[in-house]
Amino acid sequence: MNTQTNNSESAVLFDQPGPRGRRMIRIFNSVAAVLIIALVVAVLARLHNPPQGENQLSWELWKPAFDYEAWSDFYLPGLWMTLKAAIVAIIGSIVFGVVFGIGRLVPSRLVRAVSAVIVEFFRAVPELLLMVFFWRWFAFAGVSSPSYWAVVGGLVLYNGSVVAELVRSGVGNLPHGQREAAVALGLSPMQSLMTVEVPQALYAMLPATITQLVVVLKDTALGSIIMYTDLLQESRRLGAMYFNILQTLVVAGVIYFILDWLLSRLAERMPAVMQRRTWGNTVAEPTAPIAIMDATNANQIAAAHEPMPFGGAERRFHDHYHGSNATTDHWQHAHYSHGHDLQHPEVRARNWDEPLRDFARPFQTKPKNPAANGNVSAGNGGNGNAGAGTDHSAGKNPGTE
Amino acid sequence: MNDFLSLFREYNIPAAFWVNIQLTFWAAILSLVLGVILVMMRISPISSLRGFATAYVEFFKNMPLTIIMVFMVLGMFGQLKLSFSDNFDINFFWLAVTGLGLYTASFVCESLRSGINTVPLGQAEACRALGLNFWQSASQVILPQAFRGSVAPMGNTLIALIKNSTVAAAASVTTETSSVMSDMIEFHASQILQIFFIFAFGYVILIIPIGLLTTYLSNRLAVRR
Amino acid sequence: MTNHTTTPDASASGQAQDDNRPLVELRHVEKHFGDLHVLKDINLSVRKGEVLVVLGPSGSGKSTMCRTINRLETIDSGSILIDGTPLPQEGRDLTRLRAEVGMVFQQFNLFANKTIIDNVMLAPIKVRKVPRQQAHDEAMELLARVGVDSQASKYPAQLSGGQQQRVAIARALAMHPKVMLFDEPTSALDPEMVNEVLDVMLELASEGMTMICVTHEMGFARKAADRIVFMADGQILETGTPDEFFDHPRTDRAKDFLSKIIEH
Repeated sequence: MNTQTNNSESAVLFDQPGPRGRRMIRIFNSVAAVLIIALVVAVLARLHNPPQGENQLSWELWKPAFDYEAWSDFYLPGLWMTLKAAIVAIIGSIVFGVVFGIGRLVPSRLVRAVSAVIVEFFRAVPELLLMVFFWRWFAFAGVSSPSYWAVVGGLVLYNGSVVAELVRSGVGNLPHGQREAAVALGLSPMQSLMTVEVPQALYAMLPATITQLVVVLKDTALGSIIMYTDLLQESRRLGAMYFNILQTLVVAGVIYFILDWLLSRLAERMPAVMQRRTWGNTVAEPTAPIAIMDATNANQIAAAHEPMPFGGAERRFHDHYHGSNATTDHWQHAHYSHGHDLQHPEVRARNWDEPLRDFARPFQTKPKNPAANGNVSAGNGGNGNAGAGTDHSAGKNPGTE
Repeated sequence: MNDFLSLFREYNIPAAFWVNIQLTFWAAILSLVLGVILVMMRISPISSLRGFATAYVEFFKNMPLTIIMVFMVLGMFGQLKLSFSDNFDINFFWLAVTGLGLYTASFVCESLRSGINTVPLGQAEACRALGLNFWQSASQVILPQAFRGSVAPMGNTLIALIKNSTVAAAASVTTETSSVMSDMIEFHASQILQIFFIFAFGYVILIIPIGLLTTYLSNRLAVRR
Repeated sequence: MTNHTTTPDASASGQAQDDNRPLVELRHVEKHFGDLHVLKDINLSVRKGEVLVVLGPSGSGKSTMCRTINRLETIDSGSILIDGTPLPQEGRDLTRLRAEVGMVFQQFNLFANKTIIDNVMLAPIKVRKVPRQQAHDEAMELLARVGVDSQASKYPAQLSGGQQQRVAIARALAMHPKVMLFDEPTSALDPEMVNEVLDVMLELASEGMTMICVTHEMGFARKAADRIVFMADGQILETGTPDEFFDHPRTDRAKDFLSKIIEH
């Protein structure tokens, strides 16, 4: 008999319940279930008898939303248009994202700056604005099927920027040892990027990319605002014909939901599969990385769920969390200068006033706040600690940030 | 240049942004309240509440916002006659706020849950081993760390909400930025680029500082382990 | 075929000083994790002031057994008694009991959002309602005792592993527990830091604290233990004094285990 009734998320706040606790939970469970059912019944009752309206549950309204004509003339053509736009947009965003993601990582400052401006700009502008702009422009310029290209254009630019950020943060979140090992073998920074870091980042970000595909599918529905005859628009037309808009919207909603839900489930299975091929963190964020400089806490979560291995072995995920890990600049400083690598002889013998030698760059840079990082590790506080042992950690204290 | 400035005289562009800001503000309040309730249900040991919250979150995460907006106007208002006011514009505004709030609440719930996931189980075990009860361990150790861990995804959710306020156009809110921009371009097609960049920069000015603040705060408040 | 050897209950040996009642007692404890039978008929009793070291290969259930004593893990059947009273299942009684049982974790589990001194003061203030100044003074004393009082206003992430574990010991001691549980306290430490933690534990043992340690450190077991318990596959296979166990192991499994361990 298994007495574990809590899943791991509840276990952070709630202790394993004893018999009285289990009884209380059972009681609350039944009460809550009754309330939820009552809520559902109330909603259905309202649908059955809306004020000044028709009975929404009647078959007369539902039948035209389901019959063959609805599917062949409205839903399926609309679905095809949606999928067409989505697939092209997905391919386009991945290409755009990989190109500009690498653009933000190359050694050349100019390329990095231009890519940064482009990516940040398109992450800040709402997709609908982009689509409206393209739609009017393409219509004015006489492009055929302007709304289709407008939808694709808007989707590619926004989602491509998000994918670019996923690439950049994927590379930045890799353990520093990957870059170190590549450089130690004699690869140039660019080679290290293309052969070691970006491939691992691509595997790591695949689950997040699939989540982004869900966003792409959802945002094709914006096309209906610019008169793109996608699934939503078709269901509106059908609803206008038979005055059963609520029903047709429900059918369209269910179709969108099923497609997205299947993709989401795929995205959930991927992290375990992808983790075999990369040292980066594969678990996707709850929200797409939109904030500039990519604030994420994926690594915090990964570190929190990682069991501490025996013998003080290196952790897989950075546990000295710095918020946005997504920087490959000053990677050595980020690791060494803050004294996180306790094994490194430079940290142990650290004279905090001297700047570190940066192996990957030709020029030297000072670490931040050398004084504040002063080695404050004292020996024992008092000598009256017979048997407490000497403080072996002198020289190994990580400095404060 | 004269043409450019005349755009500002002819159309009240700041007012359009103000409509979006108001949509964001009210939807943020609604989604915050609803999101907190949902996350409490989501992590509670009561399985029926957990199931309900999971169903809600999964539903709204996988549903396009546009459908929800169209449903609010054509379904809730059109068929079910649910209305906030007799004035059409005000009615559509609040219908849009409701739709946005319900949609964003699921992302708020996920953000808060992700914050709770940044707290290792060992912290809770240490609290219990010391003899702290539920309220003491939650208020002293678990929830402070959870809030600090949820700053980043909450910031991202807020930014997404600001951008999603443009979808209110699907709820027939004609005074918000995307509808106004569409009108302006229709009548001043020769200045299409300028018009676009006015609105684009408006959003850039709105969103990038919030993004910087989010990143700064999440770095500053991150719990170091 | 391993010999299941039982030794006479320690409390019946007549060596107990003030009370014959054992401080911690496990009777016929069983536990499953799904299909896995992780604890099989565990019977154990620990006298006051006794240092018990639990040895065994990984996966033997020793950590699980340690965690059932303060109900971080539940048991399927059997009973656990702390100082004569059965382990409460929930509620305020359980909370009160946990305050009497100190635990030191393998992963330290210091509260990351509080300074070192706050970590140590938190439970006495909140649970025992000790006034703040007194709690502060006692905490500083404890930190000095384990040798990290100079780090009192830092955050755990700024300390090395050995320092963190010593703070964890101080935090548990601040509650003046009757018995201390150590769940592999040095397993996650670098070899150089292991000694500083073991020194603290040795001192604690010599002061008469009742300790139940799950560890791999054989040197510590030899030096500090009053009794060794050897577990494998969820069962207690052998108990005895350190000399008995290390020099004359009785069961084949114990002999096999010892032959694989290199003494430091």
